[in-house]
Parts: sequence; C-alpha cells; structure tokens
Amino acid sequence: MSEDCYHCGDKIQGRGIHFDDKDFCCIGCKNVYQLLSNSALGQFYQLEKGAGQKPQAGTLEKYAFLEVEKIRAKYIDFEDDTHARVTLFLPQIHCSSCIYLLENISRIDSRIRSCQVNFAKREAVIHFNKEIKLSELAHLLEQIGYTPNFGDRKTTEKKKDRSALYKLGFAGFAFGSIMLWSFPEYLGVEKDNPEFRAFTSYLSLVVSLPVFFYSASDYFKSAYKALKYKSLNLDVPITIGILALYCQSLYSIFINAGPGYMDSFAGFIFFLLIGKWFQSKTYQSLSFERDYKAYFPVAVTRQLPNSEEIVEIEEIHMNDLLLIRNDEVIPCDCILESEHARIDYSFVTGESEHIAKKKGDFIYAGGKLIGQRTAFKVVKESDRSHLTSLWNEVRSEKENTDRSAYQDKMSVYFLAALLIIAAAASVVWFFIDASRVMEIAVAVLIVACPCALALSAPFTYGNTMRLLGRKGLYLKNTSVIERLNTVTDIVFDKTGTLTSSSQYRVDYEGDHLSDHEKIALCSLANSSTHPLSRSIVRYFIEQQLIPSNDISDFEEITGKGLLGSFDGLKVQLGSSTFLGKPSNENIESSSHVRVGNKYGVFRFSSELRQGIEQLPKSLDRFTLHVISGDGEQDLELLKRIFPEGTQIHFRQTPEDKFRYIKALQMTKKKVLMIGDGLNDSGALGVADVGIAVSEEAFRFTPSSDAIIDAGSLTALKPLLDTSAFSKTILRVCLTFSLAYNFTGLSFALSGMLTPLVAAIIMPVSSITIVCISTFGVLLYGRYSRH
Amino acid sequence: MGMIYIMLTVSLLIALFFLVSFFWATKSGQFDDDYAPSVRILFDDEIKNKSNTTTDGSTEI
Repeated sequence: MSEDCYHCGDKIQGRGIHFDDKDFCCIGCKNVYQLLSNSALGQFYQLEKGAGQKPQAGTLEKYAFLEVEKIRAKYIDFEDDTHARVTLFLPQIHCSSCIYLLENISRIDSRIRSCQVNFAKREAVIHFNKEIKLSELAHLLEQIGYTPNFGDRKTTEKKKDRSALYKLGFAGFAFGSIMLWSFPEYLGVEKDNPEFRAFTSYLSLVVSLPVFFYSASDYFKSAYKALKYKSLNLDVPITIGILALYCQSLYSIFINAGPGYMDSFAGFIFFLLIGKWFQSKTYQSLSFERDYKAYFPVAVTRQLPNSEEIVEIEEIHMNDLLLIRNDEVIPCDCILESEHARIDYSFVTGESEHIAKKKGDFIYAGGKLIGQRTAFKVVKESDRSHLTSLWNEVRSEKENTDRSAYQDKMSVYFLAALLIIAAAASVVWFFIDASRVMEIAVAVLIVACPCALALSAPFTYGNTMRLLGRKGLYLKNTSVIERLNTVTDIVFDKTGTLTSSSQYRVDYEGDHLSDHEKIALCSLANSSTHPLSRSIVRYFIEQQLIPSNDISDFEEITGKGLLGSFDGLKVQLGSSTFLGKPSNENIESSSHVRVGNKYGVFRFSSELRQGIEQLPKSLDRFTLHVISGDGEQDLELLKRIFPEGTQIHFRQTPEDKFRYIKALQMTKKKVLMIGDGLNDSGALGVADVGIAVSEEAFRFTPSSDAIIDAGSLTALKPLLDTSAFSKTILRVCLTFSLAYNFTGLSFALSGMLTPLVAAIIMPVSSITIVCISTFGVLLYGRYSRH
Repeated sequence: MGMIYIMLTVSLLIALFFLVSFFWATKSGQFDDDYAPSVRILFDDEIKNKSNTTTDGSTEI
C-alpha cells in the first residue's frame, strides 16, 4: 500500500489504480500516463521519478474567455492567417521531465507546431496552427497537469534587465587586457621605452573609460544618494577608493609615468560586480511577490438582462450580476443571489472544509465555488475588496533591498578610521618628505578601499541562501538572512502550518458497522479524490481493511457527496443535507454516512504535522506565539506541545493577525511569522521575516520573504542555526579583509605602494574572502548534523 | 620592438572579439535560462529509435 504513484510520485492512499503494470493514485494520473504513452512520450517517466503533476478536472468552458477577441489579443504574441504564437505562464514546470513533456507536446496534438520552455521564468512559448483554439490549447495543458496561469501576466512581463551582465563584461574585458599590457611595466621593462609606455598607458585609459563611466556607475549613484540623505553606506568608502585609484592613474598617465593603477582599478570593479551578480542569483523560478489576484480568474461571466457576456475582472462594476461556475474563484466581495452555495475558502484560510452560504449572505472575495453555477451580486469592485485593502496596507511598508545593514553600519567606522589614518599619514610625511604628501595620502585611500569587505557579505549570504535552499527554505534575497538573525519572537499560524491541511484525524460515531459494511464504505470513499474521503480510507486501512474496486453506480456530486453500491449494498457518504438529515452545522467538519439502513457520522479534526511535536521545544531561545483563525477545539493539543508561557490566540481574523504582529513590533520585538494561507498574507507581509509554508514549493504561496517546504518545517531550528552561522563566517571574513587592509596600509604609509603591490594585494584579498565564505558555509552544511 | 605594437593590437582585437561575442550572447538571451538548454540536449529522439527497432530488431539504449 505504500507504493508511490507512477505518474505524480505521491503516496497511493488506499487502493490505487493498477494499469499497464503500474500503480496510479487516481484516474487523472492514469489518464495522463495513457495519453503520454500513446503519444510515445514514455521517456517522461525515465527522466525523473514521479515527476508528473496531478491533473485537475477542468472543463473547456473555463477557458471560454480566451475566445473573447479583446482578451485573446492580450495573450497572443504574434499571429498570421494560419498560425499564432503565445507565451503562457505554467507555474507547475519544475524539472527536466516537464521540459521534455512540454517541448514534445506536438506529439499529443499535431496542431501544435512547437513549444519552447523557459525554465527560469516557467514560461512556454507555443506556436500553434489556428485550427486549434487558444482555449483548447489551455485545456490540453490543464489535462496533462500544467494549468496555465493567465492572471499573473503582469508579474511575468518584467522587462529583461541584462545591464548587470554588460557591466560585468566590460569590467572583465578591461581587467584582462590592462593586466596583460601592464606586465612589461611590472617587470620594469618599460622604463627605457617612453614611447611604448605611452602607448600602453593610453590604450589602458581608453579601455578603462567604459568601466569607470558604465560599470562602476551604480556605486557612484548609491554613494551620492547616501550622502544626499546625510547617511553612509559601504558604497561611500568604495567610491572614495575608486576615485582615488582612477585619478591617481590618470595623473600618472598624463605625466607619462606608466598606466598607474588602471589594472587594479578594473580588477576591483570586476570583483565587486561578480559579488553583486552572485548575490542576485536567487530563486527566480519561485514567486515571492504573488499578489492574491494571481489566484483569480482573468474574466468572469456577467449576466445582462437578456444575455450573458464574458468580461475582464477590471470591468466589473458595483451591482453587476456574476455567474460563477463550479471551481471558479469569486473575484470580488459579493452577495449571494442564488438560494444556496458552498464555498471553498482553502485559498484564503488554508481550511479545506467547505462553508455553506444562504441567499443574501455576504461573501468575501477569494472563495472557490463548489457545485452548480451560481449568481452573485457585486458589492465591491475587485480592487477595493476586503483582501486587497489588507494587502495594500502592507505592501508599501516593507523595503526589500540587497543592502546589508550590518555592512552599512561598519562603513561608518571604516570611513572614520580611513580619514584619520590618511590625515595622520599626511602630517607625518609632511615632516619626512613634503613633496610626497599627496602621493601617500592617495595611496592610503587606494589601499584602504574596502573591496574585500564589500565582497564578504554577498558571498557569505549568497552561499548561506543556497545551503538553506537545499534544505528546503527558499529565501527571497540575501537581506532576509540578516533579518532572520535578529528574530526574537516566532509566531505560528495553526491551520496548514502546525497542522497539515490535507490530513485529518478521523473519529466515527453512530451505528455499529460490520466488516462487510466497512469495506463497502471504504471502497466508496476510495473512489473519490476528495481529501476527506482519503482520510476515511486511511482510517479504515489502519483497521486492516482493504478497499476494493467493485463499486457500481458510483456517482460523485460535487460539493455534496458520494453514492454507489457495493455487493448489493447501497452506500451514501456526504453532507447532512445530502443524506436528508437536518443539520444546523455551518462548518462541515463531519461527513455523514448511510450503509444499507445504518447511519453514522465521521468527525474530522486537524492532525499535527508529522514530527512537529519536537519543534517548539527546540526553539527555546525564542518567544513563541500561536495565532489561529479557528475555534478553540485544539487548545489542549497545542498546550501539550508548546512550552508554558506560549501565547495562544484563537478566532483571529486576517486583520487581527496583522495587528498582533504590529503590536509585537511596537514592543521592540523582531518577529518571524510562519503561515500558509492567504489569510496570513497581511501578517507575513508586516512581520520582519514572513515565511510561507508550502506543501509544494513551486505551487502557489502568498507573498512572503521566504518559502519553506512543509516537510522541512520540523527542521526549523537547524535552519535558523545555519542562518545564524553565516554571521560567524561574516565576522571571519571581515577580520581577514581588515588584515589585508592593514597590510596594504603599511605599504602605503611607508611610501612603498607601487602599482605592482596593489595589483597583487587586491585580487589575493578578494579571492581569500570568496574562498573563506564559500568553504566555510559548505563545510558547515556538510558537517552540521542536520 | 615594432612587433610588440602589433601583438598588443592583436591581443586587444581578440579580447574585443570575445567581448562582442559575450554581449551578443547576452542580448540573444542565452543567460536568461541556464537550466532548460542543459536538459534539452539530453532528450533522445524517440521516434527515430522506434523506427530502428522495427527495421533491424535491435534495441538501442
């Protein structure tokens, strides 16, 4: 029973589907397998095990909006009479098998001409004949498990910025060339050849111009900005160093005394830019900025007096009547117009139980409709609804930069020390040899330029970020590490974070069932993929019962329940109304059953994630808090695993959570918030560090600073330790870089800093720093026992 | 001594050639996605393999 699905790699719960000598967890997976093997795409399964995506049951209707000319035109990049090209965002792309499948999609449908995947952006550029409609194409992709996301268009359409690479290219080119030309100078060959010396000097000057004016421009701008706002950052001493280097070299070239420090200058910029590039290589394929609107449909059906039309979300106005189909997300705050509706708020709250609503009830945006097509009246336009207002409040407050606050603080001392030393050196040399004062002062400024210092943070944090990524914690950028190291309080969300959102503890109440009846019930539940049915199947399997596939007349009524017969026994499973029993329960945390003439109820309660019991105790250096949107039923459970003094709050609305974090911050606490649903997005945004828990890191998560794999949550302590270790490495790097600066200073102060010495010290110090930070973090990753 | 001027110019030209190639590669988007191409090259052309097996009965791996 513990087999993994051949297609998607998930554990098969209950009895899987056996087909072609392989086991599958559901019909959907089997269908995809069948489709792929019929299209000679079997290699998909050889590339990576269980790489498939569970397909969602979707209908072609869902994509009808793509045939509305105005909307369609937005997505089509190019078209002529016979074919068209479209770029689709497919967030499910995650491995080499995905690339293989998508790039060979033309074998499944010959009307598709070609497909090229951009893995980093998770986009597919698809050329297709116009015989296939765009909506059919989208539906086909959905069938094989790659549901195109049309809503996130704006975020994917970022302008490609490749200027960093151009800058790096110029600097590298100049560095190599100038060093080559300077070689005779190092050996002292040029002294006798003033003509040759002039030639190489001016050549170096020409090559260095783009480096100075283009490659290094960011440092000048940043330093200027800092000074303008009367603050200091590390770019200020860097700029001083660069200017000193460059001016001294220019002077040396103009008096025909050789190319000066041009080689060091170019090398310097080159190393700095490498550090920047290294730091910016983050997890492009993960989306940290996902706004809740990304979950929403692009268009909905609007009811007109005599007809219907498909309109874009932006065009919805107050009092419009919207027709929402099964599985569609409600895009704005509405009032229910039909008699009944069941809403799945799992996007918003992480709760997978559906909520029943009656006519006239107010419905928040973000819920997914389960069941028949239903009419809603709009009461707030999409961008003014409840969730958006919360979102907008948070967004402006958090500044996200790659700047290291620690380094900026250091730079103040650095600059002060630098100026004092330069002044002192000038005074001393004034008495020794007044003609060399200028030269010495400039040499001090050159050698004290904090190049190695500037490299230490990007490399240390960059490596730490990669190490954390391998362990399942993906950070948005390197500044998160620094904030993570200052955390004093950790706030957990309960549902979906401490408890698993797809597993439940099951209890049965009601008439006693015989083994035969139990098997009937279990087999019925096994035919459905609903998480509650799955939990029931697991409940029976734990009692050593094996479900069979002999269910006849099986029917699944979405949003209501299942019915079927087993060996002549009629079985029904579902909500109380489905079974014709009166009930006033609003939130469905139970499932009613009827087997033959017996009746019973399954009650579901949330189950803690595996291994989570140990987590709170390991985090004893932090103050812990739990905030939950649910009622108090789990208080005892939480009290058991959390140490005394932990603050536990129930019935928290998204705004409450947001305010709770704010209140903590008012008392000078640094807060780490861990949550999952969109209801946490406000809190995640406002917290110093917000970590979103995700069962599947490449799926949807609310906007956050970091994403953690649900499975890695139990290892939060070692992850935080790793992050804290980066601070130690950084200190070591700083010590080394200061040591180099002092060595250089001793040369400068004694008047012996030649271009050759500078050309040796500069790369050696930079390379040492890169090595220390890289190997330090690597060794920690290998030998720490986690 | 004249030789060294030529050599230096040549070295500059070679370096420029690589710089321009690098810019061209960047501009054409070669560094935008460094994962997909690395896997793409390893995909076998399965249809060809199939026709092989039907003609001579041998299986290729």
